[in-house]
Amino acid sequence: MTLFVRIIGQNVLSFCSYLGQLLLLAVDSFRSIFTAPIRWKLFMGQLLEVGYRSQLVVLVTGGFTGAVFAAQTYFQFHRLGMDSAVGAVVSVSMFRELGPVLTGLMLAGRVGAAMSAEIGTMKVTEQIDALRALGVYPVDYLVVPRLLAMMISMPLLVAECVGLGIVAGYFVGVVLLDVQGAYYLDYMLSFTGSRDIKMALTKGVVFSLIIVLVSCHQGLNAKEGAVGVGRAPTEAVVIGSLSILVINFFLSLILNAIFPAGI
Amino acid sequence: MMTSPVQLSTPAAHPDTPLISIRDLWKQLGAQQVLKGFDIDVPAGETLVILGRSGGGKSVLLKHIIGLMKPDRGDVWVDGESIVALTERQLSRVRKKIAVLFQSAALFDSMTVEENIAFPLRETGVKDQQVIDARVARALDMVDLAGEQKKMPEKLSGGMRKRVGLARAIVTEPRCILYDEPTTGLDPIVADSINRLIRRLQKRLGITSIVVTHDMKSAFHVADQVAYLYDGRAYFRGTPDALRASTDPLIHDFIEGRSRELTSDD
Repeated sequence: MTLFVRIIGQNVLSFCSYLGQLLLLAVDSFRSIFTAPIRWKLFMGQLLEVGYRSQLVVLVTGGFTGAVFAAQTYFQFHRLGMDSAVGAVVSVSMFRELGPVLTGLMLAGRVGAAMSAEIGTMKVTEQIDALRALGVYPVDYLVVPRLLAMMISMPLLVAECVGLGIVAGYFVGVVLLDVQGAYYLDYMLSFTGSRDIKMALTKGVVFSLIIVLVSCHQGLNAKEGAVGVGRAPTEAVVIGSLSILVINFFLSLILNAIFPAGI
Repeated sequence: MMTSPVQLSTPAAHPDTPLISIRDLWKQLGAQQVLKGFDIDVPAGETLVILGRSGGGKSVLLKHIIGLMKPDRGDVWVDGESIVALTERQLSRVRKKIAVLFQSAALFDSMTVEENIAFPLRETGVKDQQVIDARVARALDMVDLAGEQKKMPEKLSGGMRKRVGLARAIVTEPRCILYDEPTTGLDPIVADSINRLIRRLQKRLGITSIVVTHDMKSAFHVADQVAYLYDGRAYFRGTPDALRASTDPLIHDFIEGRSRELTSDD
């Protein structure tokens, strides 16, 4: 029993310590944004890497999710004679949940793994010590450009994901499954409003923070050797993805109170 | 000839302040007590070689001098200023006075040789590209690597990487350079060229140097003063000649590279 309590206690403590370290990294990063000069060249490089080069992954994810979601919704709704509601369901779901969460998960994999692997390699090859020795604060140099690039890219990528999902849903519903196009659009526009767009973009920004902070923290704390560097991206992806799913639930409840769904 | 535990005074109180002073430095890493009250003074313009066995805490000591590690107890003074209580951002100012040649050279692998060497210049606010190019070329010339600007670090041999690391260290003309095992893993010819470079930099630029090594040849080549780190303390402090003349069995074994266990087994 004592052992059980001790194990639980150790895990709770290490979880709290981890949250504390993430919070300190977040505070340090935001302080850097306002107090240290922004490294525009690094920022533009990250914008290219995490924003521009993530588009294909996000578009494919959004497009096929919208398509399959429209098809499945149609198969169920058709039996009830509610074919024209498919557009509204796809649109609202894509905006409020699927778009931000799937974009977050894809970026946690693609971008989060790359960030933690790159920073982790720099850590174990003494490049981060070299930065510090040259009078450069690693958070200014490594974390801030990535954070800013993700905070700008992520809402745009969420918008692309949602947009293509809706277009793909329209294509499947109207072109392949013969839903009336006018009704499809009318219902979709009636049920979708700026509140849904705001919710999608807010989630996008929050998820971008989670991905960058978790990934950079894993990289900066990578243990020595190949095993340590290998573990950093794995843990960054797992922790980042799970955090997105868990935080999304609470965020949905909070944001639904601020931007309630409905007509 | 173990040195008596000399009580060194607080550096700030000295009119003739040494560039770097270490006072009663203690550091524990995991279960191992790596430093146990290390003391040393390094006057400006001198080369101090810190000798010691592998894993004996030499690199840990070096990291304390530039604030990459915080001691459990004790103090480090750089140019009359205590650095142990400084924050990471405050340390940036101190670190601009001191350059480090890391054991692995720690070149930024996403940058060319030229960009690596220009990095500290850009960080200190030099913007004129012509000035940067000229200073990079001069630094590369000093380490006998003229014309290698465009190469990526992965295309360089171990000795060349160390020399590029050294060029990056000297390009801002720091007051002090810390060398972490500068000749380890190099063939004797390249090691000798690195030793000559260290000596040349001291003579030409008057740079204060602290060299951490277990390479005796390197130590005798570059040192003005030698400290032997043993059991977390400065077991010996003195000139290379005094080290050579020492009859202390521990020091003698180290200089001769003789293992006591093996000798007794034989």
